[in-house]
Amino acid sequence: MIAQVILSILLLGIVLYAYHEYRRAPAIALVATLAAGTGLYFVWIPAHATLLAEAVGIGRGVDLVLYIWVAISLLVLVNLHLKLRTQMEVITVLARELALAKAHATSTPK
Amino acid sequence: MRPAAGRRIWIVIAAYNEAQVIAHVVADVRRHGYRVVVVDDGSADATAEAAAKAGAMVVQHPVNLGQGAALQTGIELALREGADHVVTFDADGQHRAADIAVLLDALAGANADFALGSRFLGASINLPPSRRLLLQAATWFTRVTTGMLVTDTHNGLRAMTRRGAQRIKLRQNRMAHASELLDQIGRSGLTYVEVPVTIEYSAYSLAKGQKLGDSLDILVDLSAQKLHR
Repeated sequence: MIAQVILSILLLGIVLYAYHEYRRAPAIALVATLAAGTGLYFVWIPAHATLLAEAVGIGRGVDLVLYIWVAISLLVLVNLHLKLRTQMEVITVLARELALAKAHATSTPK
Repeated sequence: MRPAAGRRIWIVIAAYNEAQVIAHVVADVRRHGYRVVVVDDGSADATAEAAAKAGAMVVQHPVNLGQGAALQTGIELALREGADHVVTFDADGQHRAADIAVLLDALAGANADFALGSRFLGASINLPPSRRLLLQAATWFTRVTTGMLVTDTHNGLRAMTRRGAQRIKLRQNRMAHASELLDQIGRSGLTYVEVPVTIEYSAYSLAKGQKLGDSLDILVDLSAQKLHR
């Protein structure tokens, strides 16, 4: 029961994170929400996790939950990469404005 | 051949550590009567000084950002200076200044907003087979992803009208900008024409050019851009 509560809190945290990120990266947010929702379902109905795990050849339901967790972690990693790209775009705009402001003609093109 | 009087044509050259050749490239373009802006992309050598001495207006990025970022900076500067045509031109000496007039004539003749240089419609001198294969793979990829039936996707020699230049907003800082630019042209609804040009490779330009590993970076960059706004 304690593990279920802890996992549920973590997965709900992922849902909140996805909601927060939806405007910037909708594809990532939707997949993360789907994965977290699936995780929540299996945490509370582990028998179904076991059934699905056996059907897809994983073995145990708890392993399936762990795999979902790994998938969510990878999504968060991708999202972090996208955030870094966004930061780079901001830096680029700043650097460009700085460069244009300092632009000087060392010769006057005719 | 000199540009017609009254036309404000700006040649944008993105340069990173090109001190060895930039003066010759700028002087050659200036001899044809064009205004030149060199965007020094955070070079560690004397690229900016050499370009300025050769007669270019020089803009310096405080840090290295990449060719796509440098071209966007140059295009914005040209527009602020009142350009009615903008031409992008490589810094490594592989383009011919004489082709600029051919591109501009094609723009006017076809009443198009973009004239895209194509080495595969024109000529490529000293192009190694491995590089040819890489460029053709990139062309195939662009045709599939943009639906534009172009013959040469990563050719830095292009001309655009002011209206066309205003529609271009490159967000890909590095080499993926070439594919992004075609994608934006396709989405803009503006017209383009392909023009045969000559690209002459030297040992220097081949050493500076794209490698096989760069194509993976381009794929990652393009994919990442699809995932966020």
